[in-house]
Amino acid sequence: MISTMRRYWFGDVDEEGGCRIAGGDTEALAERALSLRTGMDTFVPLDWRTARDCGFVGDREEYIDRLREVCIALARRKIAQRYRGRDVELLQMVRTLDELDHVINLLNERAAEWYQVARPSFSRKYRALPARRMVGAIRRVADGPLRRVADEIDRLYGVRSALMQEVSERADEVLPNCSALVGGLVAARLVSRAGGLAALARMPASTIQVLGSERALFSHLRAGTPPPKHGIIFQHRRVHNAPKEVRGRVARVLAARLGIAARLDYYRGVAVPEFIAEAQARIDEAGRAA
Amino acid sequence: MIWIGDVLVSPGEGGVYGERMLDGYRVWDPYRSKLAALYVLGTGVDLRPDMRVLYLGAANGTTVSHVADYVETVYAVEIAPRPMQDLLEVAGRRRNVVPIMADAGRPGEFAPFMEAVDLIYQDVAQPDQVAIAERNLPFLKPDGCLILMLKTRSVDVRRDPAEVLEEAREELGAHLIVVETRWLEPYHRDHAALVCAARR
Repeated sequence: MISTMRRYWFGDVDEEGGCRIAGGDTEALAERALSLRTGMDTFVPLDWRTARDCGFVGDREEYIDRLREVCIALARRKIAQRYRGRDVELLQMVRTLDELDHVINLLNERAAEWYQVARPSFSRKYRALPARRMVGAIRRVADGPLRRVADEIDRLYGVRSALMQEVSERADEVLPNCSALVGGLVAARLVSRAGGLAALARMPASTIQVLGSERALFSHLRAGTPPPKHGIIFQHRRVHNAPKEVRGRVARVLAARLGIAARLDYYRGVAVPEFIAEAQARIDEAGRAA
Repeated sequence: MIWIGDVLVSPGEGGVYGERMLDGYRVWDPYRSKLAALYVLGTGVDLRPDMRVLYLGAANGTTVSHVADYVETVYAVEIAPRPMQDLLEVAGRRRNVVPIMADAGRPGEFAPFMEAVDLIYQDVAQPDQVAIAERNLPFLKPDGCLILMLKTRSVDVRRDPAEVLEEAREELGAHLIVVETRWLEPYHRDHAALVCAARR
């Protein structure tokens, strides 16, 4: 009678309890475990005593210790592999960029309020004085703590512009096709919202179209308010510059092309000029008023 | 379960996530842990020192560390790399935690590591939570239990949570005896616990 071997992490076991122990150290066992797969319909839970009877370990404590070592080694390999993706750091970069914007705006508003209190006769009305220039003005005339805060805000502006440049460059490299369609920054934000390039590449175009407008989308699904036409992709000029009547169409066509672009970026990783040319033409076509 | 007054605690080395200590025991906060909430609400399956537990959706290992204080062995399954880093830290200091980086919905991936367990505890934010639990039932001993923390919002945000729970109860009832269902209010919103026993 031919007995089938059941494959476990420490070795193979046949139905009579005979076994072949897998050799090697923890790393070797982890390597071997990577290739193990079990069909659940034929699965028989392991009895640790089998490992003892085969001479793999002396007692239960040792069994769990060895198992733990192998599982920890395996998990470390898998984590390293997941972080090796070139989009992983881009994700953190673009999130930091958006958070920097948020922080800078808050500090700007606060500094402006502070300055107005310090100078009762000052008002921003009729002066066309955006926050950015306001900080410059404060740095010129204020002193003491307010001056130091304004200096710090200015430095943050510097960090922000440099980071934006780096996000753009990294996106051009990691997401060549998506970046060609909507620019590196918007492409990076899409990846960030999707949770990674792998996730974006698996999304239907209709989801990509409304990424970033989850509030409006769920309000639509729950309460029947009008559905959102666009999320993050609104930030792309061809969407927000389009006449209102065709904006939804542009968003839809753009999202459809982005879905393909994301897959090209994920599976091929290089720019595909024929695709980009055709996609750009279709998007521009959609933007022409009917 | 160990109580000091009406505070749920677990015996073990503290400082895992900044939890409070009480008379040398680790305070197990029902607002942070759904399993703790279940015990504080007066039900659940008592954790015994000889138990082997399969924990699906182990996340950062916060609840895992408390479960490990009570039982013999915890098989902690988690797929996401970030929480897994924390879980490895917990496993490094608790010799009875076996961390497994795998998809709870694909038990074939981690079956080669598994022995039969007395308790399956599941806390995953997936739409097919009930199906995931069913796929893991081959790991359960004939007299084992399942505690499923049903995140009704993850199943479908548009539907009434009570309806989602009813459907889950029916589905699980086909394979197990549903001993009790319990909403985790006021500790966790729209989360229900289904406590089930294996059909012998």
